[in-house]
Amino acid sequence: MSDTGVTLPEDPQAYVDQVMAEIAEEVKVRRASGDLPPKLERELDELFLAHSPVAGRGGDLGDALRMVDAATFIDPVVPVESERAAGAVVKKGMRSLLLWYVGWLTHQMSQSASAVSRALHIVDDRLGELERQVEGQRVPAAGVVEFPELQRADAWWVEPAVVAVTKTPGRILHAACGEGWLVRRLVAAGGDAYGVDPRAGAIDTSEQGALDLRSEPVGAHLRAVAAAGLGAIVLSGTVEGMAAAERSQLLAAIGTSLAPGGTLVVHSVSRQAWEAVDAPPETDLAAGRPLRPEAWCILLEQSGYEATAQPGPGGADYLVTAVRSAITSPYAPAER
Amino acid sequence: MSAAAGGPVAVHQFIATLNPHDATGTHALRLRDALRAAGWHSEIFAEAIHDDLAPDAFKHWMYPEHAAAGDVAIYQFTTSSAVAGYLAEQGMPLILDFHNFTGPEYFAGWEAQSVARATAAADELALLAPRALLGLAKSRFSEEELRRAGCGRTVVLPVLADYGRVTAAPDPRVRAELAALREGGGADFLFVGRIAPSKAQHELVKALWAYRRLYDPKARLHLVGGTSSFEYTKALQDFVHDLGLSAAVRLPGEVSDAALAAYFADAEAYLSLSAHEGFGVPLVEAMVAGVPIVTRPAGAVSDTVADAALVLAAADPSYVAAALHRVCTDERLRSTLTAAGTRRAAELSGDLAVRMVEAVATVVHRP
Repeated sequence: MSDTGVTLPEDPQAYVDQVMAEIAEEVKVRRASGDLPPKLERELDELFLAHSPVAGRGGDLGDALRMVDAATFIDPVVPVESERAAGAVVKKGMRSLLLWYVGWLTHQMSQSASAVSRALHIVDDRLGELERQVEGQRVPAAGVVEFPELQRADAWWVEPAVVAVTKTPGRILHAACGEGWLVRRLVAAGGDAYGVDPRAGAIDTSEQGALDLRSEPVGAHLRAVAAAGLGAIVLSGTVEGMAAAERSQLLAAIGTSLAPGGTLVVHSVSRQAWEAVDAPPETDLAAGRPLRPEAWCILLEQSGYEATAQPGPGGADYLVTAVRSAITSPYAPAER
Repeated sequence: MSAAAGGPVAVHQFIATLNPHDATGTHALRLRDALRAAGWHSEIFAEAIHDDLAPDAFKHWMYPEHAAAGDVAIYQFTTSSAVAGYLAEQGMPLILDFHNFTGPEYFAGWEAQSVARATAAADELALLAPRALLGLAKSRFSEEELRRAGCGRTVVLPVLADYGRVTAAPDPRVRAELAALREGGGADFLFVGRIAPSKAQHELVKALWAYRRLYDPKARLHLVGGTSSFEYTKALQDFVHDLGLSAAVRLPGEVSDAALAAYFADAEAYLSLSAHEGFGVPLVEAMVAGVPIVTRPAGAVSDTVADAALVLAAADPSYVAAALHRVCTDERLRSTLTAAGTRRAAELSGDLAVRMVEAVATVVHRP
């Protein structure tokens, strides 16, 4: 019995777990009823980002320089307007008395600011030149590579993936979600799932009211998600063509957005399927190539996951299921 | 290994800033009293000292005037400070009392000077941790960081805090102000902490917006604490304004202990969605004040709250709103959480000062 006369549960932790499950169910029902459409939650994120310098407000050197230029000149002539009758006369008198001194100070300050501004313009020019040179050597971001036979609702790996991620509390992200075939399946299995896909036209807009599908790259999306905001992530058709640096960045973003104890599921095609003559043409254009399942396990274990790999029946693909360690630290030796 | 095999030994503390109302300042003062009670000579040396505590401490560069052979230093590590380099130069036996610090990644894009300061703090930790005879971590999370930084011997001992301040007589003026707000209806949610990107107050605002839309259009959020990031504070205020929540989200700044007691007394729930916490003194204060906690597992939060909070796997506004609604309407859940909170707060306070002294005595000869 508590101080307030309420009978306390015999097993408080089991009771809290039950409450958490009921809260998750309540959220699903609310979302399904349209009380809080996914679009509104997205707009909240975007609204805050619009105020954040991270989103580009002042983050661009050119913009910053324009602000510096505008602020470089300091006007020594103080405005003398006043709402009071004698105020303007008094202010004008003070201005006349002080103008020689204020002018001397502001002249030096303006000169100093101009020198800084000139230096920054030189830095801007040189950075621009460097960016042009780097652009020529840039490794393009991997696109989604679709193997229709392997990435569909009745594929062998879908059931184990659904079981693995719906065991974990929290939201489930699928990338690349396409028209939402896996998101639909996850929702039907009781998961609070949504999807992202960077391909123009991949998302069926008529489905957007019922399913939470967003048109954006997975990396950019994960960087905008709150830390530890996701319970599980499923990647399919996403990682095969990635170069090492892009893969590292994606794993770092996953490490931040996946909750401790969360599940990461990676479905990838094998090298054999990637190099087959009937493979999609995007495989030729990709900067990277698929890792072997053992390599994924090593990579994920180095990043603090417990990973297991499961080969597909025809040798064309495989599934890696990884559970993130419950203890995290910013000093964790992730592949960053 | 013992720092001194015999004879009188002083165990002095060094700290970046000694403030009367913050957790580290209170911790240092209480630890000094405990060290003195155990028989050690003990003074506090700080880079900056609040006027009210001027009689209690010396500037760190005045240490040579007080130095004696066999002195041991306890460094209260909270942020980057000139004290770290000073201690490294002195080369005296060192105990690192690690309160954790917010990493540079949390300030990236917001405040260049905060990024630089946090980066410097990481460098200072890497400099001092391998030299420390002992690391006193405030949580398992912080202990893990200490070990990664090279500290070979560590023990987890929470903060010596004055949790009684939240159950002391509340400020009648603030109480009346909050009562006037409640007359119009609506729940009051509370968060205590400096306004900073790592504390993610914008996530709290999103949750309030969803809660008002789904459950209680008159609910309010009190964000108590000063600011350490003006860019973030400005963005937060603009965000609140754009959402039409200017009257519902209140930012009273830093408040007195009595005012803080008033905020806790009237809070329906304590909500924290911080991205990083090294320990989370206000979480324990909420437990002591009997306020149920809704939070997420970031940094040391899970270590601190244990089973005494609703720890959400996702921080989506709709999830948080649903959790707040449940806490506000389910008396059994409130009682379960507050009963667990009372137990947990007792575990995190109790005979801590004695345990701190015992930990120090494992590496320093007792007087």
